[in-house]
Amino acid sequence: MSKWSVVALLASVVGLTNPMPLAAHHGGAAFDAGKKVILKGTVKEWLYSNPHCLLKLEVKGADGKIVEWIAEAQAPNVIFPAGYRRDSFKYGDEVTITVEPVKENQPMGRILDATLANGTKLGRASSAGAITEP
Amino acid sequence: MRKFICGLAVGLFIAAWALAHIGAQSPRSTAGGWITPDYNVRPITDATRKPAPRRAVAGTWIPFGRYGVATQAGGVSSRPNNGRPENALPYTPYGLELYKSHKALEGADAVRPAEGNDPRNLCEPLGMPRANHYNLNVTQFFQDDYKVAILYQYDYRWRVIWTDGRVLPKVIDGGVQIGDEVREQRFFGYSVGRWVDDTTLEAVTVGTMPEDRVWLDATGRPISDQVRTTERFRRLDNDTMEWSETLDDPKVYSKPWETMKLTMRLHDPRTDIMEYYCSPVEQANYNKFFANPASGK
Repeated sequence: MSKWSVVALLASVVGLTNPMPLAAHHGGAAFDAGKKVILKGTVKEWLYSNPHCLLKLEVKGADGKIVEWIAEAQAPNVIFPAGYRRDSFKYGDEVTITVEPVKENQPMGRILDATLANGTKLGRASSAGAITEP
Repeated sequence: MRKFICGLAVGLFIAAWALAHIGAQSPRSTAGGWITPDYNVRPITDATRKPAPRRAVAGTWIPFGRYGVATQAGGVSSRPNNGRPENALPYTPYGLELYKSHKALEGADAVRPAEGNDPRNLCEPLGMPRANHYNLNVTQFFQDDYKVAILYQYDYRWRVIWTDGRVLPKVIDGGVQIGDEVREQRFFGYSVGRWVDDTTLEAVTVGTMPEDRVWLDATGRPISDQVRTTERFRRLDNDTMEWSETLDDPKVYSKPWETMKLTMRLHDPRTDIMEYYCSPVEQANYNKFFANPASGK
């Protein structure tokens, strides 16, 4: 294997380990740091607003009951570069999101990633773990 | 065989890069001529470097580095509020008392959303110097023979640095003195700049609002109306500018200290900037649906 082959393979690894985090806005004291919950549900409402966007999602539990979750994302201008748009979530869409839940026993959290109804995958939309200041 | 391995490696790299960036950074949009910010600009190299223009800071600037590098959610960029000893601030007793009275949503002593008392969440103006430390992102500088205007993205706020040789006001109790007149305190204060050399503009700001109206950063660090904020805008080359800031606030801090030193990159002047605002209506909506219940209220 030539040296350029090695360089190219190393570059592949660098590409995999080079995530670009989003910005932060509100603090993390309300959230259960590090915990993740995957939610599959039906979009009820997507508020593209400040200081945070809010996604209302109806999720069917193991007992068959519908629970309405509310998940926050950062402000529109912050999540725009990650691909989140005004019409990313439409009423009735079946979507999957990963959230970091709140500490309170409430169906609430902040969006870590999302798979939209058309299969598009979007990354971090909250400040969870995104800020590593120098 | 060698070609096959190289081809495979290149293919792997492209796939890996795409995977790593899906959802992290979409390519900027230029739909209909509405150009969005490009957060994937390449570093300047010797081959691409152009000389700095003389006494010029105008342009559309974005902090250089990973996206969100100048958000400063965890506190001012030079000394984030993360509990590390090297980032402890030289508080005066009064300054420490002020800090403890602030209930911030960020930093080492963060509280839950509904428990905070950040004036920002009442949509109060951030003022100077906090405007430099709150989600600093796409920032426009305009310049003429008499002044430099800085347009911040957050809340579409702007300020003026006068470069026409006028005298910096004198800070007095509750305001500033200009000649024989007393003028009011301002959120963005009174800024006067001078060219230190052909590529460095130094600006001093005084006459800002008192400590019961403004914070220094999102972590609740305090600032008083006695603060003297010194900024330096140093053009490193045509496409790069260093933006640094030092505070001297004897009422709150026992000695001056550096709050930030950011590298800004020049961007396409046609870049469209999304609104990023504080709306009392939307804030109340957020509090109702999320902040309060997430705080057990």
